[in-house]
Amino acid sequence: MNILGIGIIFAGGIGIDSFENALKRGWQSPSEAGAPHLKDKKLPAFTVNLETLADRSLLKKTRRSDKFSKMAVLAASDALQNSRIENINKKNIGVILATAFGAHVTTFDFLDSILDYGEAAVSPTIFSNSVHNAAASYITSALDIHGPALTVTNFYFCFQYALQLAQAWLNEGRHDYVLVGAAEQYGDVMRYVYDQKLAPSHDGKIRPFNFKPACQVPGEGAVFFLMSRENSGNVYCRVGDIRFSNDTGYGLPVDLNIIDTDGMLADESAYRDSVSPDIPTAAYSPLFGSMMIGSAFNCAAGALMLKNQACYANPVQDNPHGINILNAAQHSNIELIRCVRYNCHREKAVFHLKKTGPKPLHY
Amino acid sequence: MTDNKVLITGLGAISAAGANLTGTLDSFRNGKRNAGRVSLFDTSLEYPVFEAGEIPEKFYLEGQRTISLALCAVDEALKSAQLVIDSTLRGDDLSKFRVGVCMGTTVASQLNDMEFYKSYRNSGAAPMEPADRYLKGNLAEFISRRINASGPSLTIVNACSSGTDAIGVALSWLNNGLCDIAVAGGADELNRIPLCGFGSLGIVSRDLCAPFDRDRKGLNLGEGAGVLILETKSSAQKRGKASDLYLLGYGSSSDAYHLTSPHPEGVGLVASINKALKEAGIKPEDVIFVNAHGTATIENDKVEGKVLANIFGPALKMLSTKGFTGHTLGAAGGLEAVFTAAALKEEWIPASIGFSNKDDAIPVMPVMEVTKINGRFALSTSLAFGGNNAALLLGRL
Repeated sequence: MNILGIGIIFAGGIGIDSFENALKRGWQSPSEAGAPHLKDKKLPAFTVNLETLADRSLLKKTRRSDKFSKMAVLAASDALQNSRIENINKKNIGVILATAFGAHVTTFDFLDSILDYGEAAVSPTIFSNSVHNAAASYITSALDIHGPALTVTNFYFCFQYALQLAQAWLNEGRHDYVLVGAAEQYGDVMRYVYDQKLAPSHDGKIRPFNFKPACQVPGEGAVFFLMSRENSGNVYCRVGDIRFSNDTGYGLPVDLNIIDTDGMLADESAYRDSVSPDIPTAAYSPLFGSMMIGSAFNCAAGALMLKNQACYANPVQDNPHGINILNAAQHSNIELIRCVRYNCHREKAVFHLKKTGPKPLHY
Repeated sequence: MTDNKVLITGLGAISAAGANLTGTLDSFRNGKRNAGRVSLFDTSLEYPVFEAGEIPEKFYLEGQRTISLALCAVDEALKSAQLVIDSTLRGDDLSKFRVGVCMGTTVASQLNDMEFYKSYRNSGAAPMEPADRYLKGNLAEFISRRINASGPSLTIVNACSSGTDAIGVALSWLNNGLCDIAVAGGADELNRIPLCGFGSLGIVSRDLCAPFDRDRKGLNLGEGAGVLILETKSSAQKRGKASDLYLLGYGSSSDAYHLTSPHPEGVGLVASINKALKEAGIKPEDVIFVNAHGTATIENDKVEGKVLANIFGPALKMLSTKGFTGHTLGAAGGLEAVFTAAALKEEWIPASIGFSNKDDAIPVMPVMEVTKINGRFALSTSLAFGGNNAALLLGRL
């Protein structure tokens, strides 16, 4: 299947151009956020500025939605626009939203509502927005999409399984297009959980090649991809077979490894098995933050590199293990990129991004 | 009709209607409704609910009732598929097969432990056990590990259509060769959060629910799990498992209308049913009954009844089983698919319990007594919060 359009919203802005600028510019210091468990301290976090989400005509249709839904709607809308496909048949678009934690901030707001006002006097609007599939629902109503809208979870591989399902739907001919994406929101309570279980970074830098620990800086945002079997529109690249565990196709001659290290595992040393001295490795989590759905942002980076035939340097280049990393931006011929993610059981998910050729490739 | 049919080789169900499928069918036959006050947690709300009763010790997990319910149904389904004989679902029984797990839920997807949150809110610190349970408790991931499944593993969180959509996703996996066997369905526990939430929306009845009835006042919440074992023909043949039950079609479509109300003309439901019929390669007149979503809310039943009458005609045999189970949210689609398959096998459907007076705004009437059926195809529908609609077409061939 082909990526025909990308929509993205992250701490660095909205739109694929903003993301490309961030890739070119390199690491920027994130904002800081406080939380009850931090007392008077603040810790770095890659949060999306509320102004990024404001004053968009699209959001009139989602004015009661929460930040999680707004980010998802804007990214999905941008992916459609970025595809430059006119008069797309919206009855034939499927939507798949992957998320690890969903609208957890609104869930905790709803718990506040119970604690503050009692069980019989809670807010129906907050409850409605706390339901996991609210964001996908807002996407369909705001964009007038009548295909199925699925929200899926899996803590480590939710984006990979969403991609796999998109590919399955397209193969079956269920839909002509699938908007597949991922969203995650920053919030105090989940930050508390992260900080209890994972090493926080105090200077705002995720160090993807430290491995143990990489140190997390929580992030938030949303990415959507318009997928199709067609090679049309603003095509970026082809997405290859998505494989899991032992069946990961390491024999393919790739030009670049992208790894999802971001401090969301206490021990990320398994990633050392996936790097090679002969193939440069990149990790872009220092640009958008630590998220279970970070793979979706790295996928966007890979798609951009294949489209532009340019590699972007690692934003944070601390490299204590002497890995072959991309340390400078360069124009080059890139045909194939491997994207790798591990879970806490040292199981991996791999998918390949392939430069779109004139002939259909059997990926 | 498609040649690549997917077999249903196992069924498992637990709900207030019964701790297994046999018990459930007894309740259906006898018109037994096991509703009562909430006993699982303290609440000031006095809505009747349908609790599933005690979980067998071998599947009981502290603070993870949704998973416990799911394990009960998975165990029964795997046994009826003759994939395990007698186990606690531990070990490597399924390691020799390519098994995918796709499960729908709502409650298990959220970290909504009240004591954990209250502690964090009050002191900026909280015990980590509830968070640990949550992080280890993704429904499909948990089941995959428990049964040592090596195929895809995905939890669908599509509110009330989660279970139906999970079965539809598993169908796509099988059609695409991503696995040979799929454990698919839904599970949800009765939980304080949705009880408060649905109460705030004004759609919970203080009486026992009455799907499609003129005087219906809203839904009752329930809990449970319903699981199908889906399998490619070649996989079933290879291990000598015969079945005449099939999953033939799945359709899913959005209303693109409103977060909490169905489209007045049911556009998404119409599209879903038509997709399921088309995929199965059959006509509306071939469908002998519909197991409707039938929540007993004013709007759902009106829209769904109109759509079903338009597509299948006013003489359609149709029912809602929510009068026996309550609305089990993410489990509903799984349970109702199990009930639909069992009805095809047993050749009867239960009375649509709770119904007594025809609503003139609904041009089709549910069956009022245990009814013999004779035919090959049946439909199960789900309408979700958020405007997603889904339909499954099952057959006995």
